[in-house]
Amino acid sequence: MKLKDLPDEELFTRGHTACAGCGAAIAVRNLMKVLGPNTMVVNPACCLLIFGATYPYLAWKVPFHHVAFENTAACATGMSRAMKVLGKDETLIMGIAGDGGTADIGIQALSGAAERNENMLYVMYDNEAYMNTGIQRSGSTPFGAWTTTTPVGKVKAGKSNFKKDMPLIMMAHNVPYVATASVGHIQDFIRKFEKAKSMKGFRYIQVFTPCPTGWRHDTAKTVEIAKLAVDTGMWTLYESENGKVTISKKPKMTPVAEYLKPQGRFRHMSEEDVKSLQDWVMKKWEADEKYAQCRQ
Amino acid sequence: MAAQALASSAHSEGGYATAFPFFGAERRGAPVLAFTRIDEKRVYRKTQVYEPDYVVVLDESLLDTVNVVEGLKEGGMVLVNSSKQPAEVDVGIDVKMATVDATSVALEVLKQPATNSSILGALSKATGLVSIESIEKGILQVFGDRLGPKIGEKNAKAARVAYDRTLVGESHGKRELKSAEKWLPDVKELPIGVAGVPMSTSAGAVGPGSFVENKTGTWKVFRPEYDTEKCTMCNFCWFYCPEGCIYRKEDHMDFDMDYCKGCGICANECPADAIRMVR
Repeated sequence: MKLKDLPDEELFTRGHTACAGCGAAIAVRNLMKVLGPNTMVVNPACCLLIFGATYPYLAWKVPFHHVAFENTAACATGMSRAMKVLGKDETLIMGIAGDGGTADIGIQALSGAAERNENMLYVMYDNEAYMNTGIQRSGSTPFGAWTTTTPVGKVKAGKSNFKKDMPLIMMAHNVPYVATASVGHIQDFIRKFEKAKSMKGFRYIQVFTPCPTGWRHDTAKTVEIAKLAVDTGMWTLYESENGKVTISKKPKMTPVAEYLKPQGRFRHMSEEDVKSLQDWVMKKWEADEKYAQCRQ
Repeated sequence: MAAQALASSAHSEGGYATAFPFFGAERRGAPVLAFTRIDEKRVYRKTQVYEPDYVVVLDESLLDTVNVVEGLKEGGMVLVNSSKQPAEVDVGIDVKMATVDATSVALEVLKQPATNSSILGALSKATGLVSIESIEKGILQVFGDRLGPKIGEKNAKAARVAYDRTLVGESHGKRELKSAEKWLPDVKELPIGVAGVPMSTSAGAVGPGSFVENKTGTWKVFRPEYDTEKCTMCNFCWFYCPEGCIYRKEDHMDFDMDYCKGCGICANECPADAIRMVR
């Protein structure tokens, strides 16, 4: 599907209460356009829950189910099996959660559902911290980033661990489809969700969604920063279809400092820290590329 | 933070003060409330303030949707962030009114539309409750502690500039405002289980898709200005808009200001420079 062919109807309506410039809102609006009305949504505690559903108001125009933080994939499993019994298994069950609800709190239910190859699509929108509760570090927060629980002080400055590689963990489950997407790459975004929709079994897509409030950047730069993340290699766009891994876009390997500069959460970083992050990016890209070569 | 800085200022003049915010589940940019109580004696009351002496409105557009003078004491005063003269601001009653264009001050001094420090300078001028020197001290303390001394100083400067530009007068308001109704269904009206269906109630729509009645357009400071001539209909802005408030028409794009939060992504991403952010 081309951008121009996306339907006009918003299944995630305007009037939602996301911050101005929210990357997650861009992702959700558009992925719903691709997935269409025959979709059921399972959503745990996260920003998206709050700005898309404040009882009794809802932005969703499809069946929407709010669940506990840790059991998105478990509830989606139940719904998916129930729909199968009812003979309605053409309905897409989508679990959608933030990075905290996926990489940290929701990972055991997610891993179980993936291993059983349940028929569902799981989307993680990655804003790299617990933004809903006020910017606390998650497993998906990158090295060096300021959050309220990785404050900048004399002894330590920002997060001292590197980002958890969730897509790789999901690929290790040998599921039919795993992909990474970004709100900055329109065609790639549409194609991946279209492909996920057309397949059966467990599908996982991780979307990179900048957060102006938590990342401390200008609200107008959300998409620009998403693109920079891909260009610098901070975020690799690739997909794994039935075990075959393909790189979707080779990074330009722009210095990582370009990506860090517009974001307040990295402002304090020393040259040494920037170098550590650059080294990590180089190694990550090398590993991703080799992995893709091995999994042909 | 402004409420805290005000409390801190009053405290530094030898009084007692408490301050706290109140907000719902909305995100950044949505309307919030903050309360400050100042007294010569110890403050024991911990509730929200229902009968204020002074009401400070940081966003003029709220006057259209919220009855800001609800509970205001006889002889109380309203301070509004507005470029208008005090007499031109209508809050529905006869009241002492002060205005200051805090958004312009903040954009000049801080280079961003954070009006909470400027408005404190204006409050000092309008009420004489706390001196501007104490306000500066309070801002340096509260803002400086949290955002660093440099930002603290800038905010103190913004307060001083706003202090000098504040206009005090009276306004004779005529408009009528009703407080919004809440949705309080009885058992028979509630759908079975936890499933909700789209329903229209006396408080407006509820259920799936009902957020569409929530007009978020009041959040913005800047709005997009669109040039049809330059537009190539690439649809990028339509995809990138987090609100979904850009509509595709035959030969142009339509920007819905009822929902636009003014983030500026459309202007930043437009490859043809057909969109510009203006105030």
